Amino acid sequence: MATAEPGAADGPGTVIKCVIWDIDNTLLDGVYLESAAGAGEPGPAGPPPSAGLTAVLAELAGRGILHALASRNPPAAAGYVQRVTGHRFAAAECGWDAKSQAIRRILATLDLPADAVAFVDDDALERAEVAFALPGVTVLAPEEMAGAADWPQFSPAVVTDEARRRGELYLARQRRQEEASAFGGSRADFLRWCQTRVTIGPAGPDDLPRLHELSVRTHQFNSSGVPVTQAEFDRLLGSAGHRLVTVRLADRFGDDGLVGGCVLAVGPGGWDVPLLMMSCRAMGRGVIDALLAWLCGAARAVGADRVTLPCVINPRNVPLRIALTGAGFRVEEPAAGADSGTAGRERIARYTRPLDLPLPDLPDWVVTRSDWAVTRP
Amino acid sequence: MTKDESAVLVRLRSMLADLTHDDAARTAPPETPLLRDGIGLDSIGGTMLLTEVERVFGVDVAGTDLNLDSLASIGALADYIEAATAGRA
Repeated sequence: MATAEPGAADGPGTVIKCVIWDIDNTLLDGVYLESAAGAGEPGPAGPPPSAGLTAVLAELAGRGILHALASRNPPAAAGYVQRVTGHRFAAAECGWDAKSQAIRRILATLDLPADAVAFVDDDALERAEVAFALPGVTVLAPEEMAGAADWPQFSPAVVTDEARRRGELYLARQRRQEEASAFGGSRADFLRWCQTRVTIGPAGPDDLPRLHELSVRTHQFNSSGVPVTQAEFDRLLGSAGHRLVTVRLADRFGDDGLVGGCVLAVGPGGWDVPLLMMSCRAMGRGVIDALLAWLCGAARAVGADRVTLPCVINPRNVPLRIALTGAGFRVEEPAAGADSGTAGRERIARYTRPLDLPLPDLPDWVVTRSDWAVTRP
Repeated sequence: MTKDESAVLVRLRSMLADLTHDDAARTAPPETPLLRDGIGLDSIGGTMLLTEVERVFGVDVAGTDLNLDSLASIGALADYIEAATAGRA
């Protein structure tokens, strides 16, 4: 089994996925409501954007980091900031309640955990309130943020095509959510109307940077919880006993690109899946169920009698474990004394799916395209 | 609430009604499945329910029930919570 484990490398390191900006005296050099624009007067006479922070914002956006606004201002202030900075923000919360509440709503909108965001505000009291209420958030003053482009937590090791388009994809998601709210039928009807397409296929060399990125960034749907280097994925790609699988997602609102993948160790009797991962962007769109159903079907098609997936037991990947049990995977009883060498480490449970039972159904709104047959080594 | 229906079961139904924005959950029989064809929770909905269960009852279902058999039905989850809290003062 040890040979089937993907190698660890990069270390856990938190990478910021979204920067949440205050507006007054932070992204703007001045106070919106004290300006002519804030008073509703015609013309562009509002505070100018901060040249330094706007440059940081653009640089980080190019690395796939999202941006959002949290401000004590009327909603029109967000529109003004979008115009003067030329940036489309992934979320904007303008109002008068606590900044921590605004940030909680942004986290919910973007499906991000608190430790994946940074908050920038010139007001020390606001920073303290957020730091107290949301201890996971990286809280920064504007002058600290000015040099942040050089910091490791704002410097993802690889910048993939999916990362560069992340802001655009979140906007597509907002349009999808708006349509879903207005849609009259069931959720399944909506997803069918979206023309959801899940494409499962073999990885190629061009996919390795994105697979590495997914191994670092995914948590809720990540079975190993361990980042895998591009070099290790490259080794697995060339390994006779392994298969690298990619999952792509698109619908009428946009092409999300490569959103998931898994590593297969293809044995004569059964398949081991040392790593399975999916972007949280693909949550609720049938992708994880499609991947698990495909795994079971593809394994049975080549005569395997079971699929086994070791999964770390932690509070963050509960969604994956619910999907696994929903697809008929069960935890084997741990061997006696099996955990004696793992004291203090996260537990790993071996989820196994016998293939002589009826296979899991695919959600009927998902169109799976896979003309790829996994062959034995 | 019949004699057989525990306070935990009633509270769970109320959580499910809030989670699904559907009052039908308030009268769902104990054998109603939580996932898919029953209440219709997906993996995210199931996670939100277990997070709320831990907050309200102090029971870490996801950390102890690895097979998540307790998600088989509303009644199974209520039984699991009751068993886990039975020894507490």
